[in-house]
Amino acid sequence: MRYAPFYGCMISLKYPQFEAAVRKTCPALGMELVDLEGFSCCPDPIYFKAGDKMIWLTLAARNLCIAEEAGLDIITMCSGCTATLSEAHHILEEDPGLRDEVNIRLKKVGKEYKGEISVRHIVTVLRDDVGLEKVAASVTRPLDDLVVAIHYGCHLLKPSKIMRVDDPNQPTILEDLTRLVGATPVVHSENLLCCGKACISDEMPAEMTRDILDGIAQVNADCMGLICPTCFDEFDLGQLRLSRRFHRKFNIPVVYYFQLLGLAQGLSPRDMGLHMHKIKVHPLLEKLGLPTA
Amino acid sequence: MAKLNFEFRKRLDAIIDGDHHNYCYQCGACVADCPAARYSPDFNPRQIMLLALLGQEEALIGENSPIWLCTNCYTCYERCPQDVRPIEVIIALKNIASGGKRAPGILEQIQKSVNEQGRTVAWSPLVDRRRKELGLEPVKPVPVEEIQKLLEE
Ligand code: SF4
Ligand code: SF4
Repeated sequence: MRYAPFYGCMISLKYPQFEAAVRKTCPALGMELVDLEGFSCCPDPIYFKAGDKMIWLTLAARNLCIAEEAGLDIITMCSGCTATLSEAHHILEEDPGLRDEVNIRLKKVGKEYKGEISVRHIVTVLRDDVGLEKVAASVTRPLDDLVVAIHYGCHLLKPSKIMRVDDPNQPTILEDLTRLVGATPVVHSENLLCCGKACISDEMPAEMTRDILDGIAQVNADCMGLICPTCFDEFDLGQLRLSRRFHRKFNIPVVYYFQLLGLAQGLSPRDMGLHMHKIKVHPLLEKLGLPTA
Repeated sequence: MAKLNFEFRKRLDAIIDGDHHNYCYQCGACVADCPAARYSPDFNPRQIMLLALLGQEEALIGENSPIWLCTNCYTCYERCPQDVRPIEVIIALKNIASGGKRAPGILEQIQKSVNEQGRTVAWSPLVDRRRKELGLEPVKPVPVEEIQKLLEE
């Protein structure tokens, strides 16, 4: 099982603890991650795509070409990168006219998109290639008693005909993966609501994240569990902003799925970079009997 | 009611998925689960598609355009029975606004960052220090000249 990991800007530069978590947990799953040279930003499916879709598609195709030259499927762990690379892949497969136009542009840099690889979100690789049993078998220290409020984020699931990850209305993949590490996933009232990050407004994203966090507060979870660095940004750093804006304390630890998997595989909280989070994760580490330093 | 503006619709049709606005039959299925509509009375994807069908340039890309409130959640894409892909039509409208220098500043900021560094998050020595602390190699360089060649029209 060899793959080309595509970490993207948010994870590599802003939240490298997620990259560390993926890199350190994959060997026990039998996954080999082959680092390739030359990837750029996916590019960004929100503001960059809003500037010019054709240029967005061309830069995305260039990234796909790099993996194609190496003969490896791309795996993504950022929902934004997934949105761009999966959609670009889909467009290039479905629309020969656009593919030709993109290839004319790519010629300038000596590349050609042929359509020989696929783009997979890493959670589907865990489910479909590694297999849930093998993920469970990698766990040496089950996270008993930990209650995790799952938040899906939009681009992991939608548009479902392109993403092909799970049922967009009643997804279970993150709950299933969370159970494997010994924790208890809970569904909260706003579990499918968008984090609002892309909305250009002062109020709306704040109201949306507030409502999601209030939903989580009602189910008495120890933390929020998610898989998207952009959602993470909105909920971790975002809670400091929300506390100021709404004059009350928002304080729910936020954890990326592979950090939970790492803890369950016996890796330390430091290895997983949990000390880098703005909202302190001490309460859940104490509950698990793990060092908080 | 203002006159139909076919010229604007043609411009929209020329952008990837922009032409899908033509399939809208105004059923409103895209509205119920739209988070932007839930949080703002000014936002309604069905209405945006209607404005697109009428080619109402000013309302769509002018100063008070609602399109920037869309959260890019893709729920409307999921719900629409006509494969209109309202979100993709909205992004196509943003392309027109951006081309005419009528987009919020963040778009240009991001374009500049990708153009100059091939990334949307700026590199600084702190980035590699944090990576090192986690046992990670420094961030790999992006071949920026290649990116710049592709950005030239
Ligand atoms: S975009 Fe689709 S769902 Fe929305 S009103 Fe038009 S046809 Fe109906
Ligand atoms: S993507 Fe569609 S459903 Fe989501 S906020 Fe934008 S218009 Fe509404």
